[in-house]
Amino acid sequence: MVEARSTTVPTVVLGDGRRPEASTQVRLDAFEGPLALLLSLIEARQLDVMTIPLGALAEAYLDALAGLETGRIGSVSGFVAIAGQLILIKSRALLPRRTDPVAVILDEAPDPEAELRARLVLYRAHRDAGLALQAAALERVGLFRREPTAALAAWRAGAVAQPAPPTDPGLLARSLERMLRVVPPPPPPPETLPRTVTIAQHAELIRAALRGADRIVLQDLLAGVRDRIVVVVTFLAMLELMKRREIVVDQAAPWGPIVARRTTSEERAAMGGLAPETPIDESLESFG
Amino acid sequence: MERNGRAANPLPTADLSADPMAGGADPKADDASDPAAEPLGLTEAALEALLFVVERPLGRREIATLTGVDRETVDARVGDLETSLSQRGIRLVTSGDRVELATAPEAGRLIGRYIGADATRLSPAALETLAIVAYRQPVTKGGVERIRGVDSDYTMRVLLHRRLVVELGRAETPGRPYLYGTDFEFLERFGIVSLEDLPPLDAEVAARLVEAVDEGRASDARDDSDDDGPGIAVGPGPALGPA
Repeated sequence: MVEARSTTVPTVVLGDGRRPEASTQVRLDAFEGPLALLLSLIEARQLDVMTIPLGALAEAYLDALAGLETGRIGSVSGFVAIAGQLILIKSRALLPRRTDPVAVILDEAPDPEAELRARLVLYRAHRDAGLALQAAALERVGLFRREPTAALAAWRAGAVAQPAPPTDPGLLARSLERMLRVVPPPPPPPETLPRTVTIAQHAELIRAALRGADRIVLQDLLAGVRDRIVVVVTFLAMLELMKRREIVVDQAAPWGPIVARRTTSEERAAMGGLAPETPIDESLESFG
Repeated sequence: MERNGRAANPLPTADLSADPMAGGADPKADDASDPAAEPLGLTEAALEALLFVVERPLGRREIATLTGVDRETVDARVGDLETSLSQRGIRLVTSGDRVELATAPEAGRLIGRYIGADATRLSPAALETLAIVAYRQPVTKGGVERIRGVDSDYTMRVLLHRRLVVELGRAETPGRPYLYGTDFEFLERFGIVSLEDLPPLDAEVAARLVEAVDEGRASDARDDSDDDGPGIAVGPGPALGPA
């Protein structure tokens, strides 16, 4: 118990000057409070906490507080509150006490010295109990119980099975190769062939039709055709032939039959047209 | 030996859930709730064998369900076993509702040497905080700080992390602060078989304290709610009068 108590902080080193309070040096742990500091001041002077006038410690407490490393004091307000309480106790001790009934009524508030002394004693009882616990732990080391088996303990702790070792890449490659040999290759997808409908083809169709007849009607030529591309390209071919002065087209009324006939050689000579051998411009740039 | 008020301050049953090793995690525990199981009865030897096998703290209610006996029988057999083992190398360790088998405190140095374990060492701040929790449990952090006179958040977190202090539940006071207490980890690390065996608070000091508080009218109208103001906590803690 005594050995354990000697390990405690705060530690107080009293100076040997004329005013020992002023030269007191205190080392206080960061998590120790003002009660620990005040109690250490009392115990360093080997005084009895139950009998010492606490007001007499006000100056020593303030000196010790001023000498502490401020960064290590966790809650300054607690230290200051105790300092204020000590100063109040000291001032009350210095002033004469009134004994008349009015003063007694005014003095109903709890005696700050008794309150602080009680706090000190309560704190000291638990501090000493903690030191006794530490002494018991050092003496007995502890109690030991049977530990659960490693697997059960690991399961309770949420352990999972170790992952399997990584697969050999060569094995994977060999397996894929074997699968490729066994499985027949899938049939190739059906090929989509582009259909090309050219103006030249349909211009030639119109020329062929006009070779067998003097006049042709476009609507008759396209009778039965459902392909819009064919209809459009045939119409474009007719316009192209018109432009080349190979045919003359006439439409008597809107939506009426479009009648085409071949131009005569005189008409071609008069209007000037392209030679029939000239290739047709499929890009339709000349329409622009 | 004087014991200052431990019996008057029993642990709440809430500490059943404080230990993650207790109940639920063990698939065998589920079998204990089978209503169709035939009652087996409970002898002192059977209780000893059961505690030897389970390798963890066992709740008295769990023992009663497993064996099909009532709670009073379990309490009686636990008491019998505790008495029988009191002079043996294995002791019955009790914390709240639960019991376990552990080595005797006087064998601790030997076992510690064998398995290479050293004594637990704590800072003075942690020690006094732990003592306050152990003697006054269930206690709020505010209750601890009132006695220490300093913010104890860090110290409490250190003790919680080391499982020397556990949460027992919440107080029905404004803010519903956590209530803290101790569990088997505390008993095992400090070589204590039961909270009943905690060394007593200094009886002389306690007697003088009560006297001083009475004379100084310092303790009247103080409660143990979780305010952080200074004051003397004389609420649900151990009786401080002379035993």
